[in-house]
Amino acid sequence: MKKILVIEDNPMVIKSLEFKLTKDGNDVMIAHDGREAMKLLKDNAFDLILTDLMLPFVTGNELISYIKKNTPKTPIIVLSTSTQENIIMDAFNMGVDDFITKPFSPNELSLRVRRLLSKN
Amino acid sequence: MKNLQISPKEYATVILVESNLLERENFIQISLEEKWNVVICEDGLDVIQWLNNNSSADLLVIEENSMPISGYQIADYIKTELGLALPVIITTGKIPIVQERRVLAYAEGILKKPFVAASTILQIRETLKKSIELAPEKNDYYSLNYLKDLSGGDEEFIMELLKVFSASINSELKNLNEGLSQKDYLRIREIAHGIKPSFDMIENEKAKGICLLLDSIAEEKDIPKLIEELNLEFANINKQLINDFPELNLI
Repeated sequence: MKKILVIEDNPMVIKSLEFKLTKDGNDVMIAHDGREAMKLLKDNAFDLILTDLMLPFVTGNELISYIKKNTPKTPIIVLSTSTQENIIMDAFNMGVDDFITKPFSPNELSLRVRRLLSKN
Repeated sequence: MKNLQISPKEYATVILVESNLLERENFIQISLEEKWNVVICEDGLDVIQWLNNNSSADLLVIEENSMPISGYQIADYIKTELGLALPVIITTGKIPIVQERRVLAYAEGILKKPFVAASTILQIRETLKKSIELAPEKNDYYSLNYLKDLSGGDEEFIMELLKVFSASINSELKNLNEGLSQKDYLRIREIAHGIKPSFDMIENEKAKGICLLLDSIAEEKDIPKLIEELNLEFANINKQLINDFPELNLI
């Protein structure tokens, strides 16, 4: 069972991701903001991280830098409502592995998660 | 086409296609007891025309060998081409029903003829009840399509998400209004950005569009009006949800 960290503050999106990823056979942990995410990252090893960019306390970009510094091999998928090219490009330039817009397509999410998990 | 207004509008509207005049009369007599609003259509084409010209019906009862298009074909057309979640009951005089599985691939129920009051009422009540539970009437405020797709039709999960929607948006709108009273436009932008996916998930384009404006290009002078519109739209969504799902006890 793969361990996935979801960092998201919208309760509906959290529930949906938890439902879908668990149904796909993953072990899912939730962080509602950047600070909570950092705590979980210190105490746990994850196979994949799904994160929003606009988060309370610590921004998504700060969080991505932190993850890249501390667990560089952990793949990251950014989940964002933004479709602006510069935001997407910035995320990829920071080293994220994939970018999904919200609300996500359930099948697309499963495929992209599976693809990254199988690579690692 | 003959529209028999035999009951007040709030009762179920049942479209009947029955070529046998005695059976037709029999059905109307049974429906009087249940206060269904029965619409008589001569054939499947008549049904499609009626559906195109009228507000939605609650049930279609159509004979298996309806001419020129069979009951199965009409049921399929209504669902796939017209995109309506109208439950269909196929009626047949063939006893025993040897192709029950085939019928149920297209329709929600089978009714044997001649119509007998007890079994007809039972079958129609059950079908109407299921249809109300699974597919609330199409409305202007929300759709469950995305949530159904996401959950694979898991009704319990959909209900849970609707509760989360109502509670979380209610709370965030309070924060948004507070942000407005403090003229904290950064906070307003962040809240609008955060709640936008929730409206997207229930497919309310109006609220999603307002959030997008608040999040990106709205000028300060336009923000109070946009927030007022968002409050109103959410109130309408919530009212519709309370009406459609009283069991959720939404506030």
